[in-house]
Amino acid sequence: MSENKILFNTGSLDSLSQEIGKLASIEDSKLKLTPDNADSGLAKLVLTLVELIRKLVEKQAMRRVDGGSLTDDEIERLGETLMKLEMKMEELKKHFNLTDRDLNINLGPLGDLM
Amino acid sequence: MEIMIYTLISVKEGSGKLEKLLLNIKGISGVALYSVCLNGIAAVVGENKKSDLISDKANAIEFAGIIEKLSQHFTLLPMRYGSFMESADAIALMLERNYQEIEQNLGKVEDKYEFGLKVFCDSEKLKSGILQKTEAETGTAAGAATEVKYSVFREYVNAKLKAHRLEELMISYVDSVIIAINTQLTLLQAEHKFKKMASASILIDSVFLLEKRKKDELVDVIKKLQGQYPELDFVLTGPWPPYSFVETTIK
Repeated sequence: MSENKILFNTGSLDSLSQEIGKLASIEDSKLKLTPDNADSGLAKLVLTLVELIRKLVEKQAMRRVDGGSLTDDEIERLGETLMKLEMKMEELKKHFNLTDRDLNINLGPLGDLM
Repeated sequence: MEIMIYTLISVKEGSGKLEKLLLNIKGISGVALYSVCLNGIAAVVGENKKSDLISDKANAIEFAGIIEKLSQHFTLLPMRYGSFMESADAIALMLERNYQEIEQNLGKVEDKYEFGLKVFCDSEKLKSGILQKTEAETGTAAGAATEVKYSVFREYVNAKLKAHRLEELMISYVDSVIIAINTQLTLLQAEHKFKKMASASILIDSVFLLEKRKKDELVDVIKKLQGQYPELDFVLTGPWPPYSFVETTIK
């Protein structure tokens, strides 16, 4: 971007430079399915979807806890379930050698999935 | 032969000015640019090879530069990079089929530029500030859950709940900033699109479509907003061709 395109900023453009730098690494966050990596590529795709659903479930659960509609026992069981789900996800990520960043697919103009 | 369409331009007062300008602008890889016209709408095209252009970043930047130059002289609709048709006749037919829609879109962006506004923040610092402010206002810890008997599962839920509440507070804060920006933009009659929390450091990523003559007013508005929110960094860019406001799907 040419200098004269910046009409206003507070001084340092570090934040903007960092974001532009991230765009260059978007390629790494895309799903790359090829005949050679079908297994790991598929695992990444499936785990990404599972993680997305897990996070949505967790979010909805927190809304209910925050809304006060759950009893102490229900919160207790919810905590146990969510904790086990998170642990299981960690196990699977480790098994397939994946990190949190790997599961956050970039959806182009829509931004990151999670 | 393959022809790449660069942009669609409004040439209501004749295409003479455009033809003259195109003599001094080269297309990607130095190809000559020319126009295919139909009743006040011109498609600027060049005979590029499709195989040479795919996934080439340098060419995409060159493409944007050409659109940029033309946008300084004409009202235009940028085409998606890599839009090819087989012949000038096919382009003329495309213009005829989509004439009404193209004309409407050109009318919408006439004498207007696109501007981009990114609002950056140090998210950790901001979250901590919001939390402190909320606690000061309510007199309680915003993230604190009701005291109940200790269990590892309950602790887990409490930690998640605290993070959830903080995120909700962040969303409310972002909404309040958007309302403040919107209030000012309404006065300038700007069309706008907002994306909330586009990344960890970009709180708001927005684009505005604004009359060319109101550029300085927009800069003043953003300066004022920066003063209102010293904890955030406002970066205003432009003018740009109206990339985000072209809503035509060519048939």
